[in-house]
Amino acid sequence: MVRIKHRYLLINILYPDPKSTSGRPATKPGDEVPYTVQFRRPSPDRMDGGVLTRLIRDGVAELYGDYGSGKVAGSLQVKYFSQATSTAIVRVSRDYYRLVWAALTFATRLPNPVGQSCVIQVVRVSGTIRKSEEEAIRRARLSIRRAEAAAKSSNAATAGLAAATPQLLSTEDDDADMINGIEDPDDPRDIEEDLDDDEG
Amino acid sequence: MFYDLNVPYAQGDATLPRTLAFINELGYNVVALNHSIAGKLPAQISCAIPDPLPFKDLPPKLEIRRRVTLTLTESYQNARLAELARAYNILAVRPIDERTLQLACGSLDCDIISLDLTQRLPFYFKFKMLSEAVKSGKRLELCYSQGVLGDSSARRNLISNATQLIRASRGRGLIISSEAKAAVGCRGPWDAINLATIWGLAQDRGFEAMSKEARGVVVSAQLKRTGYRGVIDMVYGGEKPALSEIAGQGSAVKGKQQVPKRKADDGEAVEKPISKREAKRRKHEARMSGGTNPGTSNRDGPTQPAIAAPAESTTEETTDVQSAATPNSA
Repeated sequence: MVRIKHRYLLINILYPDPKSTSGRPATKPGDEVPYTVQFRRPSPDRMDGGVLTRLIRDGVAELYGDYGSGKVAGSLQVKYFSQATSTAIVRVSRDYYRLVWAALTFATRLPNPVGQSCVIQVVRVSGTIRKSEEEAIRRARLSIRRAEAAAKSSNAATAGLAAATPQLLSTEDDDADMINGIEDPDDPRDIEEDLDDDEG
Repeated sequence: MFYDLNVPYAQGDATLPRTLAFINELGYNVVALNHSIAGKLPAQISCAIPDPLPFKDLPPKLEIRRRVTLTLTESYQNARLAELARAYNILAVRPIDERTLQLACGSLDCDIISLDLTQRLPFYFKFKMLSEAVKSGKRLELCYSQGVLGDSSARRNLISNATQLIRASRGRGLIISSEAKAAVGCRGPWDAINLATIWGLAQDRGFEAMSKEARGVVVSAQLKRTGYRGVIDMVYGGEKPALSEIAGQGSAVKGKQQVPKRKADDGEAVEKPISKREAKRRKHEARMSGGTNPGTSNRDGPTQPAIAAPAESTTEETTDVQSAATPNSA
């Protein structure tokens, strides 16, 4: 039995537009939420894994038509979705993951029950779900630290102190750096194929 | 380092800091703000993008460059283009048909050749033309944002034109950039590279397009403006050697001479060291003239401003010879 190989895409959903004023928590005047936090804010309540699946299927159908939909439908599944961090892990078959990746790139709005404009960024492509999970955890930690540092520096700025926190930011930005590529190489255990089953 | 060399700049755009912060968040390091010009160049060419930018909350680690894109609707002289190029960091041209593309790839002096890929282009790309441009250092630009945000026909044209361009250029000499008017049109660097991969560009070439080639454009554009004949930059040009105080004005000191060629015009005597022969002569004369003029000689001495100093010394020499001759004869 030849094992079906998958790719697991770890994606971030970013919200570039400013939040609409309704439902704004009471904040002190002049308390600016730093951009980092604004872009990676939690998803709206109506958003969940099902909405994301629908988004991907519609995107693939629009870009690749029936052929793409057919090829991808068998193994497309949203394995993990977190509303709080706006992160998701999507499973695709290995041969067509670029189709799904392109469909995610071309997505500009979350579909109708949610209806908000978004930008989807793929941050990791790996052959096992475990690696994607580890990466998700690592990035979540990083973004918390970054948000804290940004909040500290903006508070210090408003209080008139010299912000020493930019140095903090600089060392951490390198951790989230994607300069070396985001695709994990194939795990050697995944590649072995069972050739013995071809006898008929 | 990831480069996004095409972020449109509009004059009164208040959302620019948000867009730039978003681009920084996506992972880009260097951004070029793009000002578009179409039609006639204004008489006074100046950079339309203020320096420094009038916003206060720009991301600190994002480098910003200034770029202009000139749509080639008319014929432009290279001289005016050079003036335009000097006002900005990067000069890009946008040809609209085959003739202007030929001009851009060949004779025009620009850094980037950018085409509007969402239109149906009435011509095919030819490898020879594109490779001529790439050899002279120009790069071809693929903009993805208008296809991402636009409607179905824009997307179709973008995919078709991008595929042709990638095939015709054989993957070399391309850069990828967004042309994102708003933050929602920007995509992460690897997402854009994936799009290019689907359109036919090999993955490592796609990565090069986003990082190495784009860096090449920025650096060579800068070198064209600040370098001269192979010299990239002057770090330390040396100091002028300290001159003796008298020798100040008007002397072109090559650094070796201690004594200037020209005598100073301010009347101060420049003491040339008197040769032994001259000293002997003067002593002799003093003795001859019987002491009325002790030591002073009426001859052309150092007090007179002599413009042709070598000539004077030669006259001295010749008279020396004569006077040396005369005692013998006398």
